[in-house]
Amino acid sequence: MTKAYDTFVDDLSQLKEGEEIELRIRDLETYDSKKVKAIVASSKEKLPGADILWLRFTRGLLREDPWAIKIIEELGGPID
Amino acid sequence: MAFSDLREFVDKLEAEGELVRIKQEVDWNLEAGAICRRCIEVDKAPIPLFEKIKGYPEGYRVMGDPLCRIKRLAIALDRPFDASYGDVYRDLMKTYSERSTHPIKPRTVSTGPCKENIYEGDDVDLFKLPALMIHDGDGGRYIGSLHSTSTKDLDSDWVNWGCYRMMIHNKNHLGGYVAPFQDLTAMLRKYEAINKPMPFATALGTDPVGMLVSITGVPYGVNEVDIAGGLRGEPVELVKCETNDLRVPATAEIVLEGHILPNVRVDEGPFGEYSGYRSSPRAPGIVYKVDCITHRDDPILPTVNEGVPTDTSHLACGVAWAAEVMSALRREGLPVVDMNVIAESALFIAVISTKTPYPNIAHRIACVAWGCKSAQYIPKLMVVNDDIDVYNLGEVIHAFGSKCHPVRGTHPVPYAVGNPLVPYQNYEERLWSKGCRVLYDCTWPVDWPIGVAVPQRSSFKTIYPVGVQEKILANWKRYGFEE
Repeated sequence: MTKAYDTFVDDLSQLKEGEEIELRIRDLETYDSKKVKAIVASSKEKLPGADILWLRFTRGLLREDPWAIKIIEELGGPID
Repeated sequence: MAFSDLREFVDKLEAEGELVRIKQEVDWNLEAGAICRRCIEVDKAPIPLFEKIKGYPEGYRVMGDPLCRIKRLAIALDRPFDASYGDVYRDLMKTYSERSTHPIKPRTVSTGPCKENIYEGDDVDLFKLPALMIHDGDGGRYIGSLHSTSTKDLDSDWVNWGCYRMMIHNKNHLGGYVAPFQDLTAMLRKYEAINKPMPFATALGTDPVGMLVSITGVPYGVNEVDIAGGLRGEPVELVKCETNDLRVPATAEIVLEGHILPNVRVDEGPFGEYSGYRSSPRAPGIVYKVDCITHRDDPILPTVNEGVPTDTSHLACGVAWAAEVMSALRREGLPVVDMNVIAESALFIAVISTKTPYPNIAHRIACVAWGCKSAQYIPKLMVVNDDIDVYNLGEVIHAFGSKCHPVRGTHPVPYAVGNPLVPYQNYEERLWSKGCRVLYDCTWPVDWPIGVAVPQRSSFKTIYPVGVQEKILANWKRYGFEE
């Protein structure tokens, strides 16, 4: 089942499509936050089988079109 | 008589028509928050007590904005409320000032209702508490928006209680924002200097005075719990935490115990703040690791939906800040009459009325006021003559518009400690907590001769002879008018 996440970003160039990147995302079912290594794309067509990644500006405003995300690994850290 | 816990306060608010129990299931994800917000914005709406939260056991409850009307604040301090806004505000300011100068030390008891349920270690799960997603787009579920977080100074017996927003990161971590000039930050600097975790204990759902002292603040080095005792007229009963040496109110609904991770910052926010805007972006914030959760059976989680005035912060802080500033001004012998930290301005404007025995007294008033801890949050200060009712915003804005000279009456202070939550500040000012202030001198210059230079105020009470006024008032109904 497709899951939905979101992340906060103002500058979309920080989300390099098709590359492994690290980012902090929230599970939109519980709002649990975690840092992950993932591949993202600007549409689900570019990343078949991916989960949904909604984007919000860092002041919280939701962008219209969701991206896609495939989580490769959940990363450890001070709070993970 | 003081409330022993939040539940007594709930019953009193309900009896006074100030609280409604909502038995219909509501969603923690935005629905409950939106109801809280609407209750704030609809005139005379009571506050909600949600008794069934989607996905949570029967009995888990959430309470919205308990102090967001002057009447509720008066009830919290056991003061009369059947009077005008200004009269109640003035009475609360006086009460706060008098009682807080007679602190009462707390009493430690062996146990209390807050220990009815205890979860430690792997059993700690913040998601088992019905924290709300308060505003759409917030950085997370804010479990802490009206609470008392206790921390102890490393070098003294000072224990601070403060209300610093707390967002759930995951099952046992919270994120938080603290301003550089706040007490928790001052304490944390010492722990971080030696890379030592700082123990904390957050009490959610205390009696109303506990909440009040935590959001309003007291001078540096003073224990809020002693002031709470003074405001209550009896000691607060405290109980020791399970996992550290801090003490929390025995009747608290929920207690989160743990430690703040030294020198760790993780993105936190954004959050719809008391400024009425979600003005600060997601940014690195401090991290609380939760080691233990204790709570009463059927706990009540209080929450504040901060935003466009008037919510709990605006009223409670306004009264307490005015009490602190007026006490300081009077200690200095300044002939001030009244003060209103205007709730409708989101606490960014305060107006002080004064007699003007000598020129430029507004400057001295501003210097003393801005020397107070609480006034750091007030960037705009108006000083008006004592014929202005500071609670009548029509009179205040008239004085500002008509008596404050745009050049000679406007006195900017270009460099000051800032508050990053102020919406008009730019990125650099927010980042470094740089600020500025302005004094609006709305008093007539003392060197203007009466009758020659000072314009006469043209109102019914000021521009007609007393005899004419009395005749008109006596005949008012005979003229055909109603009251």
